[in-house]
Amino acid sequence: MARVGVFVCFCGANIADFVDVPQVVEEAKRIREVKYAIDYKYMCSDPGQQMIRDAIVQFKLTSIVVAACSPRMHEKTFRKALSDAGMNPYLLEVANIREHSSWVHQKDKKAATEKAADLIRMAVAKSIANEQLFEISVPVTKRALVIGGGIAGIQAALDIADARIPVTLVEKSPSIGGRMAQLDETFPTLDCSQCILTPKMVDVASHPFIELIPYSEVIELDGYVGNYKAKIRKKASYVNFKACTGCGACWQKCPVKVPNEYNMGIDKRKAIYTPFPQAVPNKPVIDAEHCTMLLKGKCGICAKVCEKGAIDYKMQDEIVEREIGAVVVATGYDLWDPKPYEEYGVGRFKDIITSLEFERMVSANGPTGGLPLRPSDGKVPKNVVFIKCIGSRDEAKGIEYCSKICCMYTAKHAILLHHKVHDSHAYIFYMDIRAAGKGYEEFVKKAQVDTAATYLRGRVSKIYKKGDKLIVRGEDAQIGQVVEVEADLVVLATAIIPPKANPELARLLGISYDKYGYLSEAHPKLRPVETAKAGIFLAGCTQAPKDIPDTVAQASACAAKVCGLFSGDTMKKDPMISKVNNEFCSGCQNCIKVCPYQAIVTDEIPLGHGSKEMRTVAKINEGVCQGCGSCVAICRSMAISLAGFTDSQIINEIVAI
Amino acid sequence: MKKLTYFPGCSAHGTSEEFDSTLKLVLKTLDVELEEIPDWNCCGATSAHVMTENLGYALPLRNLVLAEKIDNSTMGIACASCYQRMKVTKVHMDENPRLAAKINSTIIQEGTYKGEVEVKSMLQYCYEDIGIETIKSKVTKSLEGMKVACYYGCLLTRPKNITKFDSPEYPVSMDRIMEALGAKATEFDYKTECCGASFAISNTEVVLNLSGQILEMARESGAHAIVVACPLCQSNLDMRQPDIQKLRGTSYNIPVFYFTQLMALAFGYPVEKLKFPKHIIPVEEALSNIGRVEPVPEKGKKTKKAVEAESEVE
Repeated sequence: MARVGVFVCFCGANIADFVDVPQVVEEAKRIREVKYAIDYKYMCSDPGQQMIRDAIVQFKLTSIVVAACSPRMHEKTFRKALSDAGMNPYLLEVANIREHSSWVHQKDKKAATEKAADLIRMAVAKSIANEQLFEISVPVTKRALVIGGGIAGIQAALDIADARIPVTLVEKSPSIGGRMAQLDETFPTLDCSQCILTPKMVDVASHPFIELIPYSEVIELDGYVGNYKAKIRKKASYVNFKACTGCGACWQKCPVKVPNEYNMGIDKRKAIYTPFPQAVPNKPVIDAEHCTMLLKGKCGICAKVCEKGAIDYKMQDEIVEREIGAVVVATGYDLWDPKPYEEYGVGRFKDIITSLEFERMVSANGPTGGLPLRPSDGKVPKNVVFIKCIGSRDEAKGIEYCSKICCMYTAKHAILLHHKVHDSHAYIFYMDIRAAGKGYEEFVKKAQVDTAATYLRGRVSKIYKKGDKLIVRGEDAQIGQVVEVEADLVVLATAIIPPKANPELARLLGISYDKYGYLSEAHPKLRPVETAKAGIFLAGCTQAPKDIPDTVAQASACAAKVCGLFSGDTMKKDPMISKVNNEFCSGCQNCIKVCPYQAIVTDEIPLGHGSKEMRTVAKINEGVCQGCGSCVAICRSMAISLAGFTDSQIINEIVAI
Repeated sequence: MKKLTYFPGCSAHGTSEEFDSTLKLVLKTLDVELEEIPDWNCCGATSAHVMTENLGYALPLRNLVLAEKIDNSTMGIACASCYQRMKVTKVHMDENPRLAAKINSTIIQEGTYKGEVEVKSMLQYCYEDIGIETIKSKVTKSLEGMKVACYYGCLLTRPKNITKFDSPEYPVSMDRIMEALGAKATEFDYKTECCGASFAISNTEVVLNLSGQILEMARESGAHAIVVACPLCQSNLDMRQPDIQKLRGTSYNIPVFYFTQLMALAFGYPVEKLKFPKHIIPVEEALSNIGRVEPVPEKGKKTKKAVEAESEVE
């Protein structure tokens, strides 16, 4: 005979204000199998849990029902209370009377109370059919895959590798470094981006626990947490990295000029190139889209000048496989194309550039030798207008969110402009100055006071040309008037957007993304680096816009999560998974078709006892099964059951109402 | 022979008669027959829709219902304001059948609105339905040598989601038509700035100021003339020009043409038919630039471009 204990929680006022808790307890007591029922203000607190533990012993209870909040919130807490009292934790059922009753029926206390009592009746009935279940152990492959070699990926890889865990770092471009390698100086300390980044890049290349696979992309990920298998496509570089010394003869002689991505297209690179002199690895690749030899079969100069014979025009893409236990996704960000700002003449006026173009110009290793120059005539600008929120916070033309870093880098640009061109003047049109962060407000003050940048609060409505000047017309909301600024150069702080390939990557990894294309974290506050899929973590701007300090912190958090995951040789897994009853299985394999996790395979078993003839049945991979129940629903022979949600449990629930 | 339902609006029968008559000449050459809506009424601009929403919709809707009785797929509208009211009404009625039924009930004696007739400005009709190539093929007297600033005003391409035509900020359809006639369209950043519109009557100084800036920028762009597709823009820029010159202490003497006047000129109609005497600013000086062509080193240009292209691809 079952002996059920029912514990009803007030959840402070959350439940008690809309559900008559004592009445619910009285109704629970009327159920035949319920031997004990009680309420308490906070059942999840230690005294609440103690009540459960004591009752289990005192009343020799065989299953427990906690009527409280969603099981997603505290199921684990209460299960632990059960095992502390020596009871199998899976004999717990949670009746969700908060999200499913008190919160949604706030206008009708009577109905909410009745519904709460019903939910408890169901949970009691189900718990009677609960069986003892035991956690499953799965082995762990202790190798991490990091996707993306910007500062986020670099930091995560280094931190994981420092814990002596092997890391495979995959970067799609020929060099790691990412956006940070394009920056000149960084806010709020103005230390040189290259100086703090390149040593880390070298560390990655030389770390005994890091395998760097540049110029590659992840094309497939199979398996489950602790036991993933990744396929990586190494794009043909047409250069044998082992033979190449990086001497540079090839790219000096290459006759093909292509817009240089590293310098935002301000200058040209060759068809065989390294992205920048400090690249890691510092080996060139051939850009197959522009190389005349690869396109037309004519030229071949790089092969002629290479003393080491490292050029191989016949090289093919190569697929490599790695077994890994966890993935860190750090694919970074792109910038919004400001073309919709037609009233600014974007695309028509050469002297309107984006912030990253400005950054490249003022950069010491930039295409203009560190001086901002007007693209139209190459002159040094005196009056420079910076316009913030281009695309950001703009529902009409761009996106709704704030890109977070533009206020800070625009202040930095005003300072850098002043450093490079002493008699220049910066005008900054802004909506708000968002400078939350350590030393950030002080940094903006520095731009306003030391460099005397003119901050104008208001939007720019129009830019037009007068002679060789651009007239920027906008509102100065603080004096309530329209102002016009004669500018030599206009710099647009364009919004951060997620990489275009993010949705495709998300599908490939089996994780979710939001309406913009940012990869989604499991919980916005409490699980900001995990994804909903176990063993896959997020670092940097691929999750949301953030600056370098935040990115590095998140990357290190990812590393801590990976190290935690790999701390034992095996991993524990919930036992709520499907089981096949071979007696009933007809081998129709419909379950294999509906399983979203590829967790079901076929197996051959003897037709009868001692028989030599074989028949096919379904077999479930315990490690892969997530307990979704699709196979249970599709099975015509009722041969599959889901532990914790068996047919008898569900039928009991239905009968109870 | 194409057929087009025609809504002239009050100005085409009055102050912008030269627009109306040259439009008819141009469309005759382009083999389009105009069928004016019988018993059309005022579009309501601008007083009706700012006073009551119902009246603002009902007046244009009556015209739309009448237009549907003529068996043409498109209605062409001469005046930019009329076009805007008609287009806004059509879009809102088509999006919101309940609203359409409600407004329709007030003019039900004229018929039921079905939403079958497309509404276009005459500029849009020439650009989209006739096409640049056809216009080019009808040119007998090229306007080469004349530089014009194409001025669209605020209504012809706005709001973007209503008009769905050209760019709301830097439209180019009229520029393309002028280029097809042989004229050069200057790079003119004020092509969609406000001319002051009907403030001409209530607060003339606003118009003098705003239209003055447009004239200033047109001169800055090197244009001999301004080309428009809106009667109110034309009257503000042309008729108010003497006052503007007085106010700004400078003389512009920039004539303001309807695009159809220049089309008719290029199609070979005699000057007498183009109603130039209706203009306040004399047009002769601007027109004298026609044929005054600086030799363009076409070959040199081509080679330079080719060289650039080659070095890009190499």
